[in-house]
Amino acid sequence: MAHGEDVKYVEITYRGIFQKRLAKYIAEGLVYMAREMGRSAVSFGRYGDSPERNGVPAKYYVALGSLNEEELIGYSTRVEPETVDVIVVLDDTLLKGVESWAWQGVQPINLKLKEGGAMIVTSTRNLEELVKVTPAKEFRWDMGRINVEKSFSGLWAFKDDMTMERVWGAIAKMRPDIVDLEHVRTYVKEHKKDRVNERLSAVEEAYETLVVKSMAPKEGAEFKYSPPRLLTWQEMMEGAAVPAVPRGGRNEQFKRGTTKTERPTVDFDTCIKCKLCWVYCPDECFDETKDGYYDIAYDYCVGCGICADVCPVKNCIVMVNEGRFKDYRRPYEMWKEDKVAYKSWLKQVREGGVKERVVVPGLGR
Amino acid sequence: MTELVQKEILLNGTQAVAYAAMYADVDVTAAYPIRPYTEVMDTISKLIADGQLDAEFIVAEGEHGQFEIVKHASLTGARTLVGTSGVGWLYGMEAIVVTATDRAPVVAVIGNRALDDPGAYGVEHNDALMVRDVGWLLVWVDTAQEAFDTALIAYRVGEDSRVLMPVGVSMDGGFLTHSEQIVRLPPRELVKDFLPAYNRGKYLVHPDNPISVAPQVNEDWVSEIRRQHDEGMERARTVISEAYESFKKVFGRYPGTTRDIKMFENPFVEPYMTDDAEVILVGMGTVSKPIKVAINKMREQGIKVGMLRIRWFRPFPTQEVMKYLSGAKVVCVVDRDYSLGSPFRGGVVYHEVRSSLYDLDERPKILSFIGGLGGREITVQDAEKVIKIGLEARDTPITRHTYWINVRGDPW
Repeated sequence: MAHGEDVKYVEITYRGIFQKRLAKYIAEGLVYMAREMGRSAVSFGRYGDSPERNGVPAKYYVALGSLNEEELIGYSTRVEPETVDVIVVLDDTLLKGVESWAWQGVQPINLKLKEGGAMIVTSTRNLEELVKVTPAKEFRWDMGRINVEKSFSGLWAFKDDMTMERVWGAIAKMRPDIVDLEHVRTYVKEHKKDRVNERLSAVEEAYETLVVKSMAPKEGAEFKYSPPRLLTWQEMMEGAAVPAVPRGGRNEQFKRGTTKTERPTVDFDTCIKCKLCWVYCPDECFDETKDGYYDIAYDYCVGCGICADVCPVKNCIVMVNEGRFKDYRRPYEMWKEDKVAYKSWLKQVREGGVKERVVVPGLGR
Repeated sequence: MTELVQKEILLNGTQAVAYAAMYADVDVTAAYPIRPYTEVMDTISKLIADGQLDAEFIVAEGEHGQFEIVKHASLTGARTLVGTSGVGWLYGMEAIVVTATDRAPVVAVIGNRALDDPGAYGVEHNDALMVRDVGWLLVWVDTAQEAFDTALIAYRVGEDSRVLMPVGVSMDGGFLTHSEQIVRLPPRELVKDFLPAYNRGKYLVHPDNPISVAPQVNEDWVSEIRRQHDEGMERARTVISEAYESFKKVFGRYPGTTRDIKMFENPFVEPYMTDDAEVILVGMGTVSKPIKVAINKMREQGIKVGMLRIRWFRPFPTQEVMKYLSGAKVVCVVDRDYSLGSPFRGGVVYHEVRSSLYDLDERPKILSFIGGLGGREITVQDAEKVIKIGLEARDTPITRHTYWINVRGDPW
């Protein structure tokens, strides 16, 4: 009898609450399909509080293998598997790093991917663009892109836009050893009876049109990651006490910036230094500069957009899709360095990256 | 034997219990959210909304109210489901304690969770164990199938006129509450054969049966009430055994059995390769799964190791523990809980096991392992290490009683 190596894992990385059901349903389908293919399969959420928090990166897993079910559960009674065979990324802004749990630090999206593994991203951006922000690995692996908008649907509701079917179709294309097309079709026919033809078309379309790129060793963005060293029981303060972060500082070990899908951009040329962004920011991301402007620490910005809502100057603070930014460089530094260049850069990132925001009543917009 | 399965569906531990409550046709459920229990109430409310279950769904203002609601409902003859986790369980404790004293056979799901602080959502058994001494029946399940089956059994046992006691169905937060496995559901009509209607008889609070429950009596009645309660707890052993036998007869399989997992036929404990084992690990809940994998690996190398999983913790399976552990040279108890300031600084289960073995003529050595607190995982490798320490203790005198698994700063 073989151990461990017979277990394969699919990891589904998603944004908390918006995509929780989507991730869960994708996992559920994979379990049924794998069982139809004669394997044992179970699924489990990366347990914690994060799946229930707006936008926080969270994970769902499917374990499948030729072991008997009890042994499979034995290997899967884990918080997370050590390595995974397939990663599904339900929002392309997650490619830049995920921090679901403060004690792990910001991790590369493909941290646990096995050599030769597959990562599937839902995105309307082209693959070359995505590769630029995707962390490089030491070995060869495959990246696929399904051409769909990220499936967001608001609190707890499940928006059935057939992203689920597309993901199954894509997995069948890249990794038929996990599920093959025939079993995806059968599952959809038997379990998703409403709009079944549309669903089957979604499966086929993803299967046929999936764009796949073989990633060479070291291809992609550089991403330095080492898990934070955690304190021993002798080093910790007693009674669940934690020392405060020094005044004016921030918690180096907990940067919630990976929660955001949009970031605020600032036009310093039109800023009137009213300070409202600084006042309203719930995460204290704004730093007052010596000349009275407000710089942003993007590492800590969760992209809630309240700064853009309260900013009284039209087009001064504008929320832009996170996918358009390569790094977390502070905007004020860039502006000070070269104001003309900054202005043209700002124009470029805002173009096509701005979505109409919901108007919040009572905030003067 | 005829296949008595209606269908197999994917459910996590909390959903499995909610389905069991639907099959048991509960009348009243009281809800208040706390992770990891919450999905029980989510599922029940959906079953009610979908018209699959006709029951009162009462959202309480907190756990204290939640348990008061079901206690009173139960005394008036309603079959009830309730549940909570961690500090929520403790917040409801006044109501929870008297539920047992008033002999209301409420069934509660305890999604085991660490007792804060710091805010943690993961499993630790100290929450459920808080009621180990006050007359609740307590059972630990470690698969979704076992959760479903055991919830049905809980109604059957708790409502038996020889018992009339609340039952806590405990399951590991995260590792079972939020982990989906295939569950075999029996045909619904068969459940009636297994689970008779709840009948409190002369203890029913009803205008036609004028009785008063829990009047103020000061100090005079308490000793007798405890003594009666103790007899009820003892009778529960017989009733539990009968229920498991009856379950097998009605549904054609032993509780916890799936297409892929076979269950040892003993309601109280699950011995795994204990017959010739020199080192036996003891534990409750999902920790049994990685331990069994480790045992399988060790057995391939000819190492004689086994496990005893405790299912019913109250009443405690003293005879079974004596029987299955008496042949071992070393017993390693893996606790997902801790008893601060206790003898030899061990876990709660460790002390119960140690006490059970005291009357043996030849006692095995016994070690306490504390692990997986607050939801930290105990892996196959960790289980292998426990076994290794057990093997070393077989051949050398004991110098250390308690080992903390994977605690930063302690040798492990």
